Amino acid sequence: MRPLVLYVTKRVIAYVLTIFLASTVCFFLFRLIPGNPIGAYISMLMAQQSYLPGAEEARKVILEYKRVFGLDGDLFTQYVNFLKEIILNQNLGPSFINFPKPAQVLIAQYLPWTIGLLGFSAVIAWVLGNILGALVGWKKDSNWGKPIFYLALGLSQIPFYFVAIVLILVFGYMLAVLPTRGAYAPWLVPDLSFEFITSLMLYALLPSLSFVLTSVAGWIISMRSMIITILGEDYLLFAEAKGLKRSRIFMRYALRNALLPQATGFAMSLGFIFSGSFVIENMFSYPGIGYLFGVAIGQLDYNTVQGILLISIFAVTTANLLMDLLYPLIDPRIRYQR
Amino acid sequence: MDFGGKLITSTLRSLARFARGFLTYMRLNTKTMVGSVAFFSLIALAALEPSINYILLSGHSPTEMGLFERTLLPSFEHPLGTDATGRDLLSLVLAGLRFSMIIAVISGSVATLVAVSVAFLAGYKGGIYDHILRSVTDTILVIPIYPIAAIAAAYVRRIDLFTMSMFLAVLTWPWAARTIRAQILTLKEMVYVDLAKISGLSDYGIMFREILPNLLPFIVVGFGNALMGSLFIETGLRLIGLGPTEIMTLGMLVNLLINWGFLSLGRYSPIVVTTFLLVLIFVSVNLLNIGLDEVFNPRLKKVTGL
Repeated sequence: MRPLVLYVTKRVIAYVLTIFLASTVCFFLFRLIPGNPIGAYISMLMAQQSYLPGAEEARKVILEYKRVFGLDGDLFTQYVNFLKEIILNQNLGPSFINFPKPAQVLIAQYLPWTIGLLGFSAVIAWVLGNILGALVGWKKDSNWGKPIFYLALGLSQIPFYFVAIVLILVFGYMLAVLPTRGAYAPWLVPDLSFEFITSLMLYALLPSLSFVLTSVAGWIISMRSMIITILGEDYLLFAEAKGLKRSRIFMRYALRNALLPQATGFAMSLGFIFSGSFVIENMFSYPGIGYLFGVAIGQLDYNTVQGILLISIFAVTTANLLMDLLYPLIDPRIRYQR
Repeated sequence: MDFGGKLITSTLRSLARFARGFLTYMRLNTKTMVGSVAFFSLIALAALEPSINYILLSGHSPTEMGLFERTLLPSFEHPLGTDATGRDLLSLVLAGLRFSMIIAVISGSVATLVAVSVAFLAGYKGGIYDHILRSVTDTILVIPIYPIAAIAAAYVRRIDLFTMSMFLAVLTWPWAARTIRAQILTLKEMVYVDLAKISGLSDYGIMFREILPNLLPFIVVGFGNALMGSLFIETGLRLIGLGPTEIMTLGMLVNLLINWGFLSLGRYSPIVVTTFLLVLIFVSVNLLNIGLDEVFNPRLKKVTGL
C-alpha cells in the first residue's frame, strides 16, 4: 500500500478508537456516581403537579420513565442501547431538565453562545498573540518588546478565573460600568436591532476578556520563543544576503515557519476552551453549554451531560485529526510516513 | 548491606546532594530564590495557622458562628471584618489557606510519586510500558478533565481532605509523567549510563544511582506542575460552588464571599486578600519552576532570553 494511504488509514483508525474509548469512559464514569435520577425526577414531577400515585401506578410510571430515558436493564444493556441510538439515529435520548426535548436539541440551543463567546475569543487571542509574539521576538532588544513580554509572562502564570474575578471586581462593581451576569440585557428581545447587538457585545466583554487576556499571553510567549529559535537559521542569513527586504524576510521566512506549530497548538487548546467555558460561563451566568452542563449535573441529567462530553471529545479529536492530515499540505518538509 | 538499605542510603545521599545544590542554585538564580522564599513562607503560614488562630480567637474554631458581632467592617481587631454569622474573616482566610495548601501538597506529592514510577517504567524499560503510558495520557488529554472533576465534585458531598487530594492526583499525574519520561529518555543515553552498564551495574542500580540524582531538579519541576494542576482544578470547581462544603478552601471562600453579597456591599478587601493569596501560590511555584528550568536546562535560557 502507498505510504499516504497507510498513514491516513492508521490515523483515522486511531481517531475512531480514541473517540470510542473516551466516550466509553465517560459513560461508565457518570453512571458510577451514586444517585437516583428517576426517583428525583418523579418526585419533582409529583411536587409540581401535587399528585400522589398508588404503589402499583408508581412502579409503572418508574418503569416507563426508565425505558424512555434509556435506563432499563443492566449497565451493559444500557451501554449497548446508548451506542445503538447514537450510531443509528444520532439520538442522545431525551433530556431530564427539559423533557421531552432530546438532549441534542437542547445542546444545540446553548452551543451557539459558547461558540460565539469562547470560539470567537479563542480565535482573536490566537491571532493577536501570534502577531504580538512574532513582533516581540523579531525585535527582541527593542524598548517596547521587553515590557510586553514581561507582562505576558506574568499573566500567563495566573489561572484565567483570577483574571475574571479581578475584572468583575473592578469593572462590574468598583467602577460599575459593565454587566457581569447573563448574555444580554434581560428586558430586550433577541433580534437584529442595533440596541440588542450593542447589549450583546457589552455583556460578552468581561467573560471574553478574562479568557482572551490569559490566552493571548500564552500565545505571545510560545510565538516569541519560536521566532527566536528561527532567528539563528541559515536560510534567514541567506535571504538577507540575497538583499530581500526585512519585512519580506519576516513575513515569508520567519513567520511562515513559526506559524505551523502554533496552528497545532490551537487544535490542542480546544479541549481547554471547553473546560474554560465551564468555569467562565458559570461565573458570568452566560447561557452556553458550560452553563447547561452545570445545570444538567445538578439534576443528574445523564443524557445531556453525556451529550456535552461527547461533543467536546469529538471536537478535540476531530481538530487534532484535521491538523495531522493537513499538516503535510502546509509544511512540505513533512512527508507521510509509516 | 541488603538492597533496601542501599536504596535508602543512596536516595538519602542524592537528596542531600540535591539540597546542597538547591541552596547553591537558590543563591545563583533570583527567580528560584524569590519563588522558594515566597512558597515556603506560605507553607509556614499554613502550618502555623492553628496556633495563629488559637491566639486570635482564644481557642475557638475559625468556623464557629456567633463568636463576634455580625457583619463588622474592617477594624484593628478584625482586619478583614466579620461575616453575617459573626466569624472573623481573617481567621477564615488563614484556615482556607491551610486547606488549600494541604490538598495541593498531598495531591502534588502523590501525583509526582506515581509519575516518577510510571515514567521510569516507560522511559527506561520502554516497549509495551511506553505504549501503555502514551495511550493513557493521550486518552486523558482528550477527556475533558474539568467537567469530569465537576461531575465527581457534584455528587461526592462528604469527602475527607485525603480522598479529595487522591482524586486530584489521579487527574494530574499524566502530565508530570510525560515531562519526566522525556528527561529519562535523554538521561539514559548519557555516556556515564553506558559506563555503568558495562561495569555491570543492575538496572535498579542505574535507575537509582545514576539517573535519579540527575533527575531530581526535573522531579521538583514536575511536583510544582502537579501541585499547580491540582490547585487549578480544585479552585476552579470551588469558585463555581461545587465540592464538599465542609472543607472550606480559599476557592470556596471566594465563592461564598460573592454569594454573601460582599461585592454588592462594596466590601472588597476579603475577596482581594483571598484572591491575592491564591495568585501568590501560583506565582511562587511558577517562579521556582522557571528558575530551576533555567539552571538545569540552559538551552531553554537562550530561547526565553530572560
